[in-house]
Amino acid sequence: MNGKDQKNSIIAAVLSAILPGLGQIYSHEWRRGLVILIGLTAQAALFYGVGAQWLIGVMGLIWLWNIWDAFSLAKGIRVSTAAPIILILILNLIVSWKVTDIHIPSFQGEQRKVIGNIVSGLGKPDFISQKTRQITATAKYIVIGPGAPASIKQPAVKHGEPSITLSPSKVEKGTIITVTGVDFTPQSKGSMILLGADEIPAGSFHTDKNGRFEMKFVNDRYIPGDYFVQARMVVPTGGWSLSSTLKDAAPRMFETIYLAFIGTALSLIFALPLSFLGARNLMSGNAFCRAVYGLVRVMFSVLRSVEVLIIAVIAVAAVGIGPFAGVLALAIHGIGALGKLYSEAIESIEHGPIEAIKSTGANDLQTVVYAVVPQVVPQFIAFTLYRWDINVRMATVIGLVGGGGIGYQLI
Amino acid sequence: MLRIENLTKIYPNGTKALDGISLDVPNGQFVAVIGLSGSGKSTLLRCINRLIEPTSGRIFLDDVEITAAKDLRPIRRKIAMVFQHFNLVKRSSVLTNVLSGRLGYTNPAASLVHMFGNDDLADARSNLARVGLLEKEHERADSLSGGQQQRVGIARALMQKPELILADEPVASLDPATAHIVLDHLEQMNKHDGMTVLCNLHFLSLARRYAHRVIALKAGKVVFDGTPDEIDDARFKEIYGEDAVQVEIA
Repeated sequence: MNGKDQKNSIIAAVLSAILPGLGQIYSHEWRRGLVILIGLTAQAALFYGVGAQWLIGVMGLIWLWNIWDAFSLAKGIRVSTAAPIILILILNLIVSWKVTDIHIPSFQGEQRKVIGNIVSGLGKPDFISQKTRQITATAKYIVIGPGAPASIKQPAVKHGEPSITLSPSKVEKGTIITVTGVDFTPQSKGSMILLGADEIPAGSFHTDKNGRFEMKFVNDRYIPGDYFVQARMVVPTGGWSLSSTLKDAAPRMFETIYLAFIGTALSLIFALPLSFLGARNLMSGNAFCRAVYGLVRVMFSVLRSVEVLIIAVIAVAAVGIGPFAGVLALAIHGIGALGKLYSEAIESIEHGPIEAIKSTGANDLQTVVYAVVPQVVPQFIAFTLYRWDINVRMATVIGLVGGGGIGYQLI
Repeated sequence: MLRIENLTKIYPNGTKALDGISLDVPNGQFVAVIGLSGSGKSTLLRCINRLIEPTSGRIFLDDVEITAAKDLRPIRRKIAMVFQHFNLVKRSSVLTNVLSGRLGYTNPAASLVHMFGNDDLADARSNLARVGLLEKEHERADSLSGGQQQRVGIARALMQKPELILADEPVASLDPATAHIVLDHLEQMNKHDGMTVLCNLHFLSLARRYAHRVIALKAGKVVFDGTPDEIDDARFKEIYGEDAVQVEIA
C-alpha cells in the first residue's frame, strides 16, 4: 500500500469498534472486513442459539483484536489472523463438548454390562447350526372314574427303539407318576409333554450313559379317560447346516451388497463425465468454461449435502418401498460425493503432459483421453471402491426407511 | 520461414514477459535462445504454438498467421515441442507416448479408443529405433531414465513430421553426456530432415557447439542476435549481468 492509499488509523479503529470489520472495509480490505463482520455475527448468534451466552463475552477479545487489526491495516500493516482463529476454534470446542453431553462417568456401572452383552452378541454370529432330529416315545395312562376304559394297551416295545413306561398307569388327580425311559440317546436332555388339545410341558429329564432315565410328574387331570404323555428329545445327527437366521438374512445381505454396487455404478456413470467439467485446471479457458465449472461444483455440493436418509425417504415416496428407492438414494448422493473426489483428482495431476499433448495438435477430447485419463485412473479406482464400501454401510441404514436390503429386515 | 512481429506478452499479474520481439527465422536454421531464467525464453516458445496466448503482435509460419488462426490443429501439428521435464504421460507405455505425436493428424474419434493406422505404428517403431529405444516400446514411460525419456520425447516430436521444433531447455535436467546425445538428435533432425530448430539453452558452450545463430533475451527484449562466435566477454556480461562467469559444459 503506498502513501496515497493510507487511511486514518484512528477513524479505522473507531469504525471497527462500532461495527467489527467496518474499519477494515474503510481501508478497502473488503474480504477481510466482510469475513470479520459476518463471521463474528454468525458466531455470536450460534453461541446464543445453543445457550452459551457467556462465551459471547469471551469474544470481546476478538473484538479487541479486530480494532487493533483495523488500526494496523489503515497503516498498511497486515497483522496475523492466527490468534483470533485459534480462539474461535477453542471456544467452539468448548461449546461442542457441552452441546453433545460428553459425560465420561457414563461408561461406569450398568452401562458396561449392556455394552458387554451387545459386543459379545456381535462376536457370536448365528450363521450355522447343527443338524438335528427329534426322537419321541409315547405312553398312555388312565384317570379312573366312570366312563374310563378298564385298561389300556400299551404300544409294543421294540427293543432298540426309545420307549417309556408309566407306573402306576391308573391314577387319580394328584397321583405321582413315575416315567421310566430306555434306549434314548445317552447323556442328553429331553422334555416330557402332556398331549391333549394343548401340549403341556411336564418337566424335563436327563438320560444316563445307557440311555435310561427316570422322572416323576404329578397328574392334575381329573376327568376320567385316557391320556398321552410323550418324551421328546432333540439329538444332533452329525453335520451342520445354515441357521435359519442366515437363510432369512443372506438374500437380504446380497441384496444390500448389490444395492450398494448398482448405486455406486450409477453415480459413477454420471460423476465421471461431470467431474471433468468440474475440474478447475481443465475449465479455466474462458468465461463460459468457468461458469460451467462453478455450476457443476455447486451441483456436487448440493447433492452431497442432502443426507442419504432424506433422499431415501423422498425416493420411497416416489417409487415405493423397496430396493429401487435405496438405489436412487445412493446414486444421487454418490454423484455429489464421487464427482467432488474425481474432480479433485483431476485438479491434482501434472500439467506438463497436458501441454505436451496439446502441442501435438490434439483437440480437447484427445488431450483429456491421452494426458488426463492415464494420470487419474488409479485414484478413480481407489475412490470408487471406497465409495462402494461406504454405500454398503449406507444401504443397511437406508433399509430402515424402506429402501430394501438387510436394513429392511431389521424392521 | 518463421516470422515474429512485435510480439508482446503481459501476464494477468502484470509481468511483462515479452516486450516487442521481432524475429525472422529462415527454414533449416538451428537457433539457440539464451538468457537468464525469467528472461522470457519459455514464453516466447509457447507463444509460437499458442500454448500461451500473446497479448499483442503477430506470428507467421509460411505466411499463415498463427496468431489469427481459429483452428490450431493444422498449425500445431507442424510444430513439435520438446520439454525440459520431458512431459511424457508417465503411466502410459513408451509406444503410446510416441504415437500421441500423431494426434494432430489422426481421426479424432478413432484415436479416442487408441486406434492408430498401420503406417503410424510402423512410423512409431522406426522413430523409436532411430532414438535407440525400440526394445522399450512396451515399458511404462516412468520406468525409463531421464535421458531415455527425453529421447522418447524426441521420437514423439518426430511423429509429427514437423517443420519447426521448439525445444524448451531440452537438456537442463540431464547430465552432460546425455545432453549431447539429445542435442545430437536435434542436430540430426535439423541437418538431415531439414527441420527448423528453436532451442532454449542454459549453457553458452552448448549453443556454440550446436547453433547456427544465437538470440539472447533479457527482460523480454532481444539483446543479441548473431552467430555464436560474436559473443565475447563484453556481450556475455551484457546478456547475463556483470557478475556472471562462463561455465563450460564438456
